[in-house]
Amino acid sequence: MRSDLDRILEKKLGRGQFLKLAAAAGGTGILAGCGASSGESDNTDTGAAGATETRPSIDQEKGDLKVFEWAGYELPTYIGVKAYAKKYPKPKYTFLTSDDQALSKVRAGFEPEVVHPCIGYVQDWVNLDVVEPFDTSLMKNVKDLNPAMLEGGQVDGKQYFIPADWGFSSPLYRSDKVDTSEDTWALFYDEKYKGKISWWDSLENLLVAGYVNGVDDPWNMDDGELEDMKKFLISKKHVVRNFWASQTDLDADFKAGNIWIAYAWAGSYVAAKDAGHEVTYMEPKEGRLSWVCGFVLIKDSPNYHHAHAYVDEWSSKFSAEWIEKNYAYGHANTTADLSKLDPGFVEVLHLRDPSALQEPKAHMDRYIARRKEYNAAWDEVKAA
Amino acid sequence: MAVDAQPVPRTRSIRRPRFRGKNVTTAALIAPPLLWLVVFFAIPVVLVGLLSVGGIVLFPGDEVWTLSSWKSFLDLDSVYMGLFWKSIKMSLIVSAICVVIAYPIAYFLALGTSKHKYTLLLLIIVPFFTSFLLRVAAWKFILGDQGLINSFFYSTGLRADEHPIPQLLYSQFTVMLVLGYVWIPFVALPIFVSLENLDRRLLEAASDLGASRWQAFRRVTLPLSLPGVVAAFVFIFIPTIGEYVTPSLVGGNKGFMFGNAIQDLFGPGFDWTTGAVLSMFLFGAVLFFTLIFARFLSMRQLST
Repeated sequence: MRSDLDRILEKKLGRGQFLKLAAAAGGTGILAGCGASSGESDNTDTGAAGATETRPSIDQEKGDLKVFEWAGYELPTYIGVKAYAKKYPKPKYTFLTSDDQALSKVRAGFEPEVVHPCIGYVQDWVNLDVVEPFDTSLMKNVKDLNPAMLEGGQVDGKQYFIPADWGFSSPLYRSDKVDTSEDTWALFYDEKYKGKISWWDSLENLLVAGYVNGVDDPWNMDDGELEDMKKFLISKKHVVRNFWASQTDLDADFKAGNIWIAYAWAGSYVAAKDAGHEVTYMEPKEGRLSWVCGFVLIKDSPNYHHAHAYVDEWSSKFSAEWIEKNYAYGHANTTADLSKLDPGFVEVLHLRDPSALQEPKAHMDRYIARRKEYNAAWDEVKAA
Repeated sequence: MAVDAQPVPRTRSIRRPRFRGKNVTTAALIAPPLLWLVVFFAIPVVLVGLLSVGGIVLFPGDEVWTLSSWKSFLDLDSVYMGLFWKSIKMSLIVSAICVVIAYPIAYFLALGTSKHKYTLLLLIIVPFFTSFLLRVAAWKFILGDQGLINSFFYSTGLRADEHPIPQLLYSQFTVMLVLGYVWIPFVALPIFVSLENLDRRLLEAASDLGASRWQAFRRVTLPLSLPGVVAAFVFIFIPTIGEYVTPSLVGGNKGFMFGNAIQDLFGPGFDWTTGAVLSMFLFGAVLFFTLIFARFLSMRQLST
C-alpha cells in the first residue's frame, strides 16, 4: 500500500522525474515503496516495493550476496541453499546468535544484505531505518506462504519481512512422571514438581504469566499489570530448577532426568522422544505461543535481485519439506508434501492445519513496544 | 617535621635525571604497548563511559545526554545494586576458599617434592587443555539427578531412588564448586612462585633457634608467602566479580549475577545505556579493589 505522500510526490514530479529522483535517493524512507510503479505491483496487499525498475538487472549484479544467518541454515545439504547455489554464486555467510545481537551488529556498522531475524523484531529493524520492503512480485513462491505470517511481517502495509521457519513454544513434560488433570501453562508453577521445572530464560515468561492470569493483552501490559506479573513470577520462582538458555542444555537436562517440565520448542520434544522418554507436548488451554522467523532486506543492497532470489528459494515447498524433516521446525510454505514426515510430528505441529497458528489456539510472536520495561521486570524476577 | 620531609625531595631529584636519560629507544619500546592500551582499553572505556551518560546512543528513541540511568542504578533499592553485592559476596567466598585450598597444593609443590615439581605443576593445568563448556558438561554429568554422586547414594541405599540431593546441581553451591575448580590451579601459581623463592636458610635458622615446624611456618613461611597469597586472591577475585557464564550454566534459579544483568541489558533488553552504567560501575569497583590490594601487597615485595 502506498502512502498519500508517495502519490502526491509522484503526481507533482511527473513519472520520469520521479523515477530519476527515486534512483538517486536509492530508496530512502519516503521513496521506498513507490519506485515500482509499473502498475502490476501497485495493487498487491503485501506492499510490493523497492525501486526495482531503476536497479541493475540480476545479470548486472555481482552476485556476492552477504547473508546474516543462523548457523545450520547455510549447510550445502540444505535444499534451499543448494537450489540457489545452482544458479548463482555461493552467498557469503555471517552468523547471528540472537535477534538483539543481529540488530546491534548492523547498527554498529555491519552491512549484510539479507538478515534472518524473527517476526517480533521486524519493527525494530524498520525503526533502525536499515531495511527496505521486499518486492514480492519478484518472488514466485510468496503466494504459497501462510497469509497470517505474511501479514505479521508487514509494517505500514509494506512487506518488510518474508516468513520462513516457525514453531510452537509450549510446555513439554514427562508423561511418565507428571500427572496433569488439565492442560495449562500453570503446570510451570506447580509445587508438586518443585525442582523439576525449567523456564526459558526470556521475558516471554511474563507473557505466559499474563495468559495464565487472564491479563487482557499480555504483549502490551501497562505498568500495573507488569508489576503484578513480576510479583507473581517471583512468588513462583522457587519451584524452578533453572532458566535454560540454550536448547542443547535443556535437551541434555531432559535426557538426564534433571528436568521433567519445561518451556520448549518442538525440537526438544523430538530430542526427548529420541532419548527414549515418554513426553507430551502440551496444548494448553491458554493457547500455545509461536515463533516465526524469516528475512528482511537491508537497504540499498548491491545484490537486490539476488537477495530476492535467495529468499524465494528459501520460500519454496522443497525448502519447507527439508526444514520440517531435518530441523523439526515448521515452514511458512503451506504446500509442502507432508507424507514423507513422521505423522506424529505432523500432528504435534499441526502442519496440516495452518489455522492452528491463529488466535486463540496460538499467540504468534509480535513486537513488544515496551520491551525495555519487560526486560527490566524479567531481570528483577531472576535477581529476586 | 621539616627534617622528616627533607629526604623525599632528595630521592625524587635522584630519580628524575635517570628518566631524562632514556631517549628514543624508550619511546620506541613503550609505544607499541601504549598504543595497544589506548586502542583496546582507553578508547573503549571512554566509549562505554559516553554510552552510560547518553553521549552515544544506539537505538532511536534513547535519551541523549542524561544521568537518569546512573541515578536509577545508584538508588539503594535498585535491583542491580543488590546484584552487585551478591556478586561481590560470591566472589569473596570463592576467592577465599580457593586460596585456602590452593595453598597446601602450592606448598607441597614448592617445598615438598623436588624431583617432579614441574611435571606435577603441568598436571594441574592439564584439564585446561579442554574447552570450558566441556568441563561444565562433565560436572553436570557428575552432579545430575541420575549422575555419579546421586547414583552412588541410590545404589548404597543412602537415599531413596528419585530423591536426589537437590543442591548438587543448579545452586549457588554448584557455582562455587565449578568456579573453584576452574580457578584453583591459577591461584596455586602465584603462591607457588612466592614459596619457591623462599630462602630456605630462614627455615633452618628458625629451627636452629628452637622453633617448631608449625611455629616456623606461622612466623616465617606464611608471612613471606603472603604477597603471593594476596596476589592469588586478587587473581581470582577480580575476574569472578563480573563472572556470568558459570552462574548461568549451573546456578539454577539463583544463578543471576551482576555480569548476567550486564549481558541482558546489552542483549535482549536493548538498554545499552543502563548496561554501560553497570559496566562502568563494575570497572570503577574493580579499580578500587585493585588499588586497595596493590597497597596491601606492596609492589617491592611482589617483585622479589
